[in-house]
Amino acid sequence: MSNAMIELRNTTKRYGKLLANDHLNLGFLRGELTTLLGPSGCGKTTALRTITGQVIPDEGQVFIDGVDVTQVPTHKRELGMVFQNFALFPHMTVFQNVEFPLMIRNQPAAERREGVMDTLRLIRMEEYAGHYPRQLSGGQQQRVGLARALVYSPKVLLLDEPLSNLDAKLREEMRFEIKDLVRRLGITAVYVTHDQAEALAMSDRVAVMHAGRIEQVGTPDEIYECPRSRFVADFIGLSNFLQGQVVEVNGPQATIDLEGHRLKVPATSDALPGQDWLVFVRPNDIELLPPEGEPMENELDGTVVKFTYLGDRIDYRVTLAPSLELRVQTDGKVRFAAGTRVRARLPLARCRPVAD
Amino acid sequence: MNDVGPNRSDSPSLARQYWSALVERKKLLGTVFLWSFFLWISTPFVIIMLKSVGRNWFGKKWLPPNLTLDWYKWAVTVANIPKVLGNTLIIAAIAVALSTLIALPTGWALGRRKVPAKELFTSIILLPRMIPPIAYALGVAQIFYRLHLVDKHLGVGIAHVAVCAPYAILVLSSTFQALDDRVLEAAAVCGAGKLRTFFHVILPMVLPGILSSIIFTFTTSYNELTLTLMTYGPHTITLPVRTYLAVGEGYWEVTSAMSMILVIPSFFVLYLIQREIAPEKLVGGFKGV
Repeated sequence: MSNAMIELRNTTKRYGKLLANDHLNLGFLRGELTTLLGPSGCGKTTALRTITGQVIPDEGQVFIDGVDVTQVPTHKRELGMVFQNFALFPHMTVFQNVEFPLMIRNQPAAERREGVMDTLRLIRMEEYAGHYPRQLSGGQQQRVGLARALVYSPKVLLLDEPLSNLDAKLREEMRFEIKDLVRRLGITAVYVTHDQAEALAMSDRVAVMHAGRIEQVGTPDEIYECPRSRFVADFIGLSNFLQGQVVEVNGPQATIDLEGHRLKVPATSDALPGQDWLVFVRPNDIELLPPEGEPMENELDGTVVKFTYLGDRIDYRVTLAPSLELRVQTDGKVRFAAGTRVRARLPLARCRPVAD
Repeated sequence: MNDVGPNRSDSPSLARQYWSALVERKKLLGTVFLWSFFLWISTPFVIIMLKSVGRNWFGKKWLPPNLTLDWYKWAVTVANIPKVLGNTLIIAAIAVALSTLIALPTGWALGRRKVPAKELFTSIILLPRMIPPIAYALGVAQIFYRLHLVDKHLGVGIAHVAVCAPYAILVLSSTFQALDDRVLEAAAVCGAGKLRTFFHVILPMVLPGILSSIIFTFTTSYNELTLTLMTYGPHTITLPVRTYLAVGEGYWEVTSAMSMILVIPSFFVLYLIQREIAPEKLVGGFKGV
């Protein structure tokens, strides 16, 4: 038995000329919460609908629990799904909503009752069993949606942007609640979102999608720290991209020229002088120092153009050369006014070449 | 608050007094409007009701001097009301059945499918309601004479469909349009096949809409006069036509009694609307969330 509960093998879907999914190959591991992350139109919803069976791929196959389900209709795939707009049955009470999947499976009434109440207890909604969805708040409705998806212990739980219709505070609470629930039940979960903070906070693994393709798959840590492409680095967190030419390769280090500034970065194995490189560095990895003081490695002289006070940190724009601006975020313990000269220190290990 | 009265530079309490006086006056105005409206609607009913049970009442006194049920007896026996009411209900049933049969697929297509030139179709469907009924009825009559559909329940019923079906199509297409795809998807993911999704999810969600479409078409057919006038015959006299004819015969008292009989089912329908498609049920049926 494969370690992947769901596997997309070369799935491709075209809508007219638009290539919504371009030969996706992705395994969703058992008991893990995997996130499909990407901007709208990147194909993550098509990928999810390929799993549910609402989209039949033009090419490729879908496996659930080792079985090829590519041609199996949605209602026979044994899935649980939570929707962005909750999609509860408006004419049924909370109890009836959660009971629906069990009723469809012809379970005896006593067993159904027990199953529903157990699941409602799991999400702390048992007092609301007799309410109609329209009498509940958004957060409560989504919890009912979660209960309806979990009540028949499906093989897979699919979550389609379940938190984007909730307000910010509730969203954060629900993140933990969903994550905790998925852990406790040991269920395989697929989470679709465009919110990178949500993806980093909740996932065991993240698959970043862009233009119908999977850009990178990895743990949240890997995705954030070692983005493999400019798109991933740009989409997740804040980034500076510095375009320069390699002037010297010295073992594990390479020196690049940035409009007159010299910057040492970790070298890739195929590094050669003369190559054009894109180096990326996070704004909060850069240190700002006053112009006088002990010179250190990887210091670039510049001038503060403007700064924005963000409360817990300060966001600076520093120009190094006429067309070279750096975004720096510091904790604000040492402050620099606009117009002052500063030294920006870019720690060597935090500068990473990426593919453009 | 500032431009309530001319003395706004005076103490704020005076301004407040002006303000509350204005609010009071608004309330008063509202009450007056409401009661005027109520009287305006109810007065003709009251007069007809009194006329139908009064004897020797020619409108010179406030109330009829003698009460009687004779006019109702006349209406039932002379004007043959049971037969006429039967005709009316049979024709209404035919009109409702045909309109609903036409409106279910049409409404589904207009509400849920991508139909090219949807606005054009909608306008064509509404056309019978836009042009003067008498002109339309004339055309219908000419065709029906050829087809021998005049003075047949089916014929009058078919004629009524022209004015009933537009309502049914409009109500049903908006009902079907409001069906949330996501909810249907949710049913499929929960394991429900097409048949069970239909019976457990779609049907209960659209039932209030179908019911209100039936009520609309029923009342439209039940009250229809113009189209009936051009297609009825001795065997298919309906209540509105009989009442109209009685006016011509000059028996105001009997006519009033007939009108009262005509009104009773309308009250029943009103009661049905209040009970069966209570506002919150409509919201539950029409809104996805």
